[in-house]
Amino acid sequence: MEKETAIKFENVSKIYKLKRKDKDVQKDQKTQYFYALKDISFDVKKGQVLGILGTNGSGKSTMALVLSGIASPDEGEITVNGEQALVAINTGLNKELTGLENIKLKGALLGLTEKRIGEITEGVAEFAEIGDFLYQPVKKYSSGMKSRLGFSINLCLDPDILIIDEALSVGDKGFAHKCLDRMKELKEEGKTIIFISHSLPQVREFCDTAMWLEGGKMKEYGTIDEVCDHYAEYIERYNTLTKAEKKAEREEKFKDRIIKNRKVSLMDRLFG
Amino acid sequence: MFTSAKYVLSENYQNFHRIVSISKYELLADMRESKLGVFWNFANPAIQVLTYWFVFGYVFNRKDVQGIPYLVWMLGGMVVWFYVSPCITDGCNSVYKKVNVITKMKFPVSILPMTVVLEKLFDHFCLMIILIVIFVTQGYYPSVHWLGLIYYLFCTIIFSVSLSLTTSVLNMLARDTRKLILACMRLLLYLTPILWNIERIGGGRVAKIIMCNPIYYLVQGYRDCFFYHKGFLAYGWPMAWFWGITLALFFFGSYMMYKFKTRFIDMI
Repeated sequence: MEKETAIKFENVSKIYKLKRKDKDVQKDQKTQYFYALKDISFDVKKGQVLGILGTNGSGKSTMALVLSGIASPDEGEITVNGEQALVAINTGLNKELTGLENIKLKGALLGLTEKRIGEITEGVAEFAEIGDFLYQPVKKYSSGMKSRLGFSINLCLDPDILIIDEALSVGDKGFAHKCLDRMKELKEEGKTIIFISHSLPQVREFCDTAMWLEGGKMKEYGTIDEVCDHYAEYIERYNTLTKAEKKAEREEKFKDRIIKNRKVSLMDRLFG
Repeated sequence: MFTSAKYVLSENYQNFHRIVSISKYELLADMRESKLGVFWNFANPAIQVLTYWFVFGYVFNRKDVQGIPYLVWMLGGMVVWFYVSPCITDGCNSVYKKVNVITKMKFPVSILPMTVVLEKLFDHFCLMIILIVIFVTQGYYPSVHWLGLIYYLFCTIIFSVSLSLTTSVLNMLARDTRKLILACMRLLLYLTPILWNIERIGGGRVAKIIMCNPIYYLVQGYRDCFFYHKGFLAYGWPMAWFWGITLALFFFGSYMMYKFKTRFIDMI
């Protein structure tokens, strides 16, 4: 039986505006439009665990924003079945408040009910391993502690679709492992998880399908091993290039993403 | 038009717990920042009232207004200004201040003006306590007429939220909005008959224009509850005018919120 679709992208593009404020550019080159994502189509089934791979600046984070519904695409259609949530680690923590108060505040920011926040508080403190620091203001925390606290609160969300952007780069190995275990639990509960990372081993371990983004375009979408192997090959090849060759490749990619002669309505011009 | 108003209303209603928590912890964090904490919530408005009283009541030696001591009369109007003014300036900044939240998680943006207005309500109550103390020492005791304050407080909240809905979106489109508002606030204080009585400028055209200011309705309303006791119906036209403006602002603000709700991230 064909599983239900959780997310469907049809020719989705996201365009950013690049403005140069310095004087020595010609007038027509002052504002450029840039494809952060270009013509991407795919669909994710319910319960699928998708890893998104890509080098820096390939559009992964934009992808996370569009997937989670925070940003809307400029072209194309997105259909989503269910509630998405993007794991945001350090967002919404207030450094003057104690750990406990921050759990309550962030819980509220994420839209949990008062009752649910009461239920999770103990679990979060336990999971984040912050001990007695729970009653200390967050400004006294180490950066690892802060991230652990933020991440733990996020894991208590109960969305249908979970989007994780580079989240496991926080904390030490032990904590990353613990998080992976927790995510595996979520996976077994049948949640759709989209895992964005440039760490190949983590993606390989955790996901069952993968997507490779390069220069804002979808280069490959398929089973985990296939995509990961190709991606690893690409990275290896890229690393063998000389500096000049790398630069040339980057510039070519950049040029490809610039949009020429884009017509912009007056409204957008005013409010861009 | 109505879909957007409905959208803003339902978002505010459904996220009531979120609004209360955000305001509460924002306030708490603000107090933790200083050693004296809540003391400043009382001291700050008290010192400001003292300043205005010194300049106008003492130096310019303003006489009683309609038989009411100047300090008492001024305070009766000033109390609402000290609420509306930070609501307008901070409300305008409410969305921009939370940019790191709205770009990182799915968040109902239209509740942000409400959180600011609710947060400032605490300061308003602090000033209210100071006001009651001063009034009692001057022989003005709380009476049943003061219940009208609840209605005028409600008006103030709705007005502040409606205005902030509009300005906070405009501020996202262009940060100049906030600068403009900050620059105009002092002007607005003196253009509103708070420190001076409207009767001083007679009933001419200027007075009519000044009476169009919706904040004037709030100031007049507060004073009515404290001193004049004429009731709501004595201000029929100002009331209609006030609600007309407020609703127009609300609809326009909701429309902007709705239109730009997924666009904020592109505006940073």
